[in-house]
Amino acid sequence: MPQKQSLLAALALVLLASYLALAQQEEQAGRQGRPQPQRHSMSFFVTSVGLGKGGDLGGLAGADAHCQALATAVGAGNQSWHAYLSTQARPGQPAINARDRIGSGPWYNTSRTQLGQPQNAIISQDLGELHGDTLVQAERGSNLFKQSARTEKGEVIHGVGDPPPIEHDILTGSQTDGRAFTDKADHTCNNWTSSGAGSAQVGHSDRIGNNNASWNSSHATTGCSQAALESTGGSGLFYCFAVN
Amino acid sequence: MSKTRSLIVAFTAPSLLASCMLLAQQNPAPQHPMTFFVTSSPIGDGGNLGGLAGADAYCQKLANAVGAGNHTWHAYLSTQARPGQPAVNARDRIGTGPWYNVKGEMIAPDLAHLHGDTLELARLGNNLNKLTGLTEKGETVPGLYDYADPRDNDWDYVKTTPYSNRHEMLTGSQPDGRAFTDNVDHTCNNWTSNKDPEPGTANGNLNAPDGRPNAQIGFPDRNGGGNGSWNSSHGTRGCSQESLPKTHGVGMFYCFAIN
Repeated sequence: MPQKQSLLAALALVLLASYLALAQQEEQAGRQGRPQPQRHSMSFFVTSVGLGKGGDLGGLAGADAHCQALATAVGAGNQSWHAYLSTQARPGQPAINARDRIGSGPWYNTSRTQLGQPQNAIISQDLGELHGDTLVQAERGSNLFKQSARTEKGEVIHGVGDPPPIEHDILTGSQTDGRAFTDKADHTCNNWTSSGAGSAQVGHSDRIGNNNASWNSSHATTGCSQAALESTGGSGLFYCFAVN
Repeated sequence: MSKTRSLIVAFTAPSLLASCMLLAQQNPAPQHPMTFFVTSSPIGDGGNLGGLAGADAYCQKLANAVGAGNHTWHAYLSTQARPGQPAVNARDRIGTGPWYNVKGEMIAPDLAHLHGDTLELARLGNNLNKLTGLTEKGETVPGLYDYADPRDNDWDYVKTTPYSNRHEMLTGSQPDGRAFTDNVDHTCNNWTSNKDPEPGTANGNLNAPDGRPNAQIGFPDRNGGGNGSWNSSHGTRGCSQESLPKTHGVGMFYCFAIN
């Protein structure tokens, strides 16, 4: 009898689970307005930890290696990972735009639905939607928001209103269109080599703060030391995208 | 005994109140009166709001109830053109700003910031978000991940579960705040319909390509629908009260003071 009962319970669980998965699938498909295959491998994450040296990431190469290492640690090392960071032009060295470093999308996070089923959510279909290249795209925004901007472990980054430490200031060094700044001021902690003087442009993973909702270009940091980053709600985290 | 008590009350209560007020005066919060809110509850008849007039009156009623009736309130809703009747754009109905929520936090300084009229403004976005998109009573609007329950698509459950997801605001508008100009319904027949599409015609597509009853919605928490639009993310499954929760709405909408 107890065996029968547990069998029944197991059956009920399986039925419930498949119903929920179906419901979620249908809802997502409906929202996208087109049928969607269920699982996508992770191709976007926010670093779960920074490098700990403020704005000194060891340049783009150091930042890319950090993305790759974190991805590898969760079994996603088969893809090639780049940090979403711009560098500014220097004599004999052209600027590099973050948006030109991340492939063409679509990009997916690693997450579960609100009811707990694994289902990696879309961040954005393509570069145009991610950056709002047309006015309608920009007005709408991408699907990068607090609950979708997950770390490689699937965690949500603490943002405004959450218990400290708040880590929603995400290093980008970029303008809202994903391109490098073209003025003389430092927006990249000296192309990600300074942990002292300078400043870095940051976006907000929760899209809350500084009276705007920008994920990639909300405000400048007060300096490049780890303490300076932490003073405005950051810890030196950045976005990583799979380029293939 | 009762005399002593009332004496105590008579003396201590006002002096306590007075010292509270003194304290409040010493630390004056930089307060802007509320000129924006999310309706704390829906009208309750799906997409039938009694037209724009009914929706405006509802905004005014909710504002009156919290002492903000000295402003003139309009609902952020568009209506579509009909024979002999031009379209009305939500953005043309809400004054010029700036607009503040019940806590005095600015939502947007003007119409251009609110809607993102230039590429740069649109990319930056306005300051409407999960924490600022408050009802007239100061409540946060429950959204995705706040309370996970498989029944949160069912009106019978949602109506008795105030903390379940209900973050879809009726707007009937495009992202620029203007009415749709195509021939399909995005406004539940200009906010007079509580009808659902014929069975089998919705097909899970929320963009109403087939002309069924539908309302365009946006999210105050900007979380969902594959984009982060506060005013034009996607359509609904229909216009009945029961169909709105199927995509996590209950028929709430935005109210703005126009003066």
